[in-house]
Amino acid sequence: MYSMSELPMPTQLITGNEAIALGMVEQGCRVVTAYPGTPSSEILAGVIKYKKRLSRDVYTEWSVNEKVAFEVALAASWTGLRAAVAMKQVGLNVASDPLFSAAYTGVKGGFVIIPADDPGPHSSQTEQDSRLLALTAKVPVFDPSTPAEAREMIKDAFALSERYRIPVIVRPTTRLCHAVSPNEVDESAPDEKIPSVKFQKDPVHWTATPKLRFKLHTELNQKLSDITAEFSKSKYNETIDANINGAIGIIASGVAFHTAQQALTELGARVPMLKIGTPFPLPLSLIENFCASVKTVVVLEEPDTCIELQIADRNNVKGRLDGAVPNAGELTPEVMFSVLHKIFAHAGIQVNAAPEDNELSAFIKTLSLPVRRPRLCPGCSHRSAFYAMKRTFGPRAIYPGDIGCYTLGTNLRAVDTFVDMGASITMANGFFQANRLANDERVIMATIGDSTFLHSGIPPLINAVHTGARFVLLILDNHTTAMTGFQPTAANDYLADGSEAPRKVSIPDLVRACGVEYLKVTDPYEQEDFADILKDAQAHAQSPSGGVAVVIADRPCVLYDKEPILENPLPVIITEECDGCRFCTEAFECPALVLRADGSRVDIDYTICVDCGQCIDACHKGFIVPKIAEMVG
Amino acid sequence: MNPTSTNERKVIITGIGGQGIVFLTRLFSQTALDLGLGVVVSETHGMSQRGGSVISHLKINGSDAPLIQRGSADVMIAMDPGEAMQNLDFMRRGGTVFVNSAEGLHESLAPHLERLDIRVLNHPATATAVELGSPAAANIVLAGFVAAFFILGLPYENMIQTLKQISKKGSEKNLQAINAGFEAGQKINEEKLKHKGHEAHTGKEGNQVVSVSPS
Ligand code: SF4
Ligand code: SF4
Repeated sequence: MYSMSELPMPTQLITGNEAIALGMVEQGCRVVTAYPGTPSSEILAGVIKYKKRLSRDVYTEWSVNEKVAFEVALAASWTGLRAAVAMKQVGLNVASDPLFSAAYTGVKGGFVIIPADDPGPHSSQTEQDSRLLALTAKVPVFDPSTPAEAREMIKDAFALSERYRIPVIVRPTTRLCHAVSPNEVDESAPDEKIPSVKFQKDPVHWTATPKLRFKLHTELNQKLSDITAEFSKSKYNETIDANINGAIGIIASGVAFHTAQQALTELGARVPMLKIGTPFPLPLSLIENFCASVKTVVVLEEPDTCIELQIADRNNVKGRLDGAVPNAGELTPEVMFSVLHKIFAHAGIQVNAAPEDNELSAFIKTLSLPVRRPRLCPGCSHRSAFYAMKRTFGPRAIYPGDIGCYTLGTNLRAVDTFVDMGASITMANGFFQANRLANDERVIMATIGDSTFLHSGIPPLINAVHTGARFVLLILDNHTTAMTGFQPTAANDYLADGSEAPRKVSIPDLVRACGVEYLKVTDPYEQEDFADILKDAQAHAQSPSGGVAVVIADRPCVLYDKEPILENPLPVIITEECDGCRFCTEAFECPALVLRADGSRVDIDYTICVDCGQCIDACHKGFIVPKIAEMVG
Repeated sequence: MNPTSTNERKVIITGIGGQGIVFLTRLFSQTALDLGLGVVVSETHGMSQRGGSVISHLKINGSDAPLIQRGSADVMIAMDPGEAMQNLDFMRRGGTVFVNSAEGLHESLAPHLERLDIRVLNHPATATAVELGSPAAANIVLAGFVAAFFILGLPYENMIQTLKQISKKGSEKNLQAINAGFEAGQKINEEKLKHKGHEAHTGKEGNQVVSVSPS
């Protein structure tokens, strides 16, 4: 459809997320919205990159949450433009309300949803499978196995969406999102004219009443059965090595397909494989034929069962459901190898042993190597806030936490719960009511970041205020969405593409507007003052006329904005007296405070120390001192 | 091996979040791509980048599977000796480990390294980078060190080309860093060539003759 020039297009190394973005831009997608979340975060950044490089006119936004993102893009589709929305898998839960509805109403311009799944999980609270949500919502899914295939599927997803006027999901997983591979990027392809579309009123679809919804449901079912027929001829569902007369056959989808092929190479085996690229609606005729052609079928998919679940006759089928494949977790090369090895052994087929040296693996475990758990960065303002909070309220207080870098407050025991985005406030609310009934008077202090507060914190805050809950809410405002790579929030003065925001939303104003009477904004780097304010806030929450007391810890993330520290550095040293008691490394846990191998003392790793001086208070014996003070004696 | 060889190379690149593992991976993979080789990389993003273990899997002329299976990596490049040891079972028999360290790996590993014919080549890249006044460029020092041995089939000149292309800021410092690492590697090569040894060295002394000379 674009330039068929003979000249080779420049090949670039790009991530899977960028390949998806490129697919959107080159397919004339005009509106792309997203909320950041690993592993999906780089998709929107990719769209912005390629819309500039390819000179395409695309509206992009970091929406305030996934439901908002979904609906903004959906409206664009209803006008007739191509639109897409990206998020991590749990973000699709937030957007599931419009997802289910839009499956019925249908769309007009091609509408593609990208929920990125996280088998493992590596950076998520669940291993949920978006393909199953798609199955429940009755929305077709493409399941790409490589970045290049994802890019290709974006094209077909838009076309399918327009042909059947149905939302379509393209579902990548972490390993695909974060794979880097060569892709041809044609920057000279001319932009097509933006279609001159106009929103047209269509009450039968856009404002369907329950009676009409029933009709839409039957229409949706018809669309799915037509799509099933189409998918049974899709190039994405392909049989490989069909002529190998095998006792064993493999059905695989997504990244698991290539991992399975790699495992077969290691095993020194070849078997017929059915690669499935459209797990819903599943072309069952292909599956049935394949199952009939071999003695035993193994289904390999991530993170859960979608294909296997849809196979009615599982007599000769092995997979996650019968325990042949672990029923949770990523299908890593090692897991894949051992699953297949067992199945081959069971069938009496001779294959290679695992290449891994078990003796070495076992020995490494005896070395008691340091476990590198993720930690807040050197100089992170969250650490200062948590440290002051812990010193003020101690280990007995209840600390509901939330989702972001500051979830790492668990290391400092400053986060006792996290559930999902925004739950710090609702959990604090619930703890307050439960504790009141149980006469438990412990301090409740919730923490939430700026982006998460804007995403899902406001209705919980309104609820807590209105029902008279009493707790302290600490909003850790570091001026960005740090965890996922510094995306702007509604409180920033710029937009996704770097342009100036017409307006920024004030978090303090929002808090006041929710009816909160106690609000203080303060710098957590001023640890003494900060602790005093926390005490004051707690006193307010407890007072007869009190309620939710909100403190905003206002300090930019040190990775995002280095200015304040560069302007006001406070280099420190640890004196000779340090005896290696480890208080600072455990209670403060700055990665730049390093215990010597022999345990004799702690040193500062100046290659990563940012001279924030925040650890001075972390040595209660006074051995961490400003460099200047030490120099003058 | 020569750079246009179709041989597959599986490389584990590891360290701790903040040590520039993603950049180091890009440096090698872009160089391979520019030489016309096939490249598939799997990167670590998200939570682990906050100081946790970070690992990249790089396949040159390899399959489309993003991850390398334990026991099959040809080369490991480690910015942290702890992470090198933690991930040592990724190595295949006869593989090579490059590690940012003055001492190499823990001496108790020597018998295993010998048994599996895994050689360890070490250089204190962080110390070198600090000496150069650019502590953040330790990853680039290590890249230069690796390039000196030509095991990946990526010529040093091409690595420099890529470095110039992909590093915007502080490129002068970066060139110094890659050069310092390269020279440290060359020195090991020369010393060993003097000794003309082809003995099957392994383990902690970490200075092994490579059977290929730098281009
Ligand atoms: S990225 Fe920013 S907010 Fe996150 S841990 Fe680092 S300093 Fe803290
Ligand atoms: S000054 Fe202290 S707290 Fe700040 S980064 Fe350095 S070691 Fe960490």
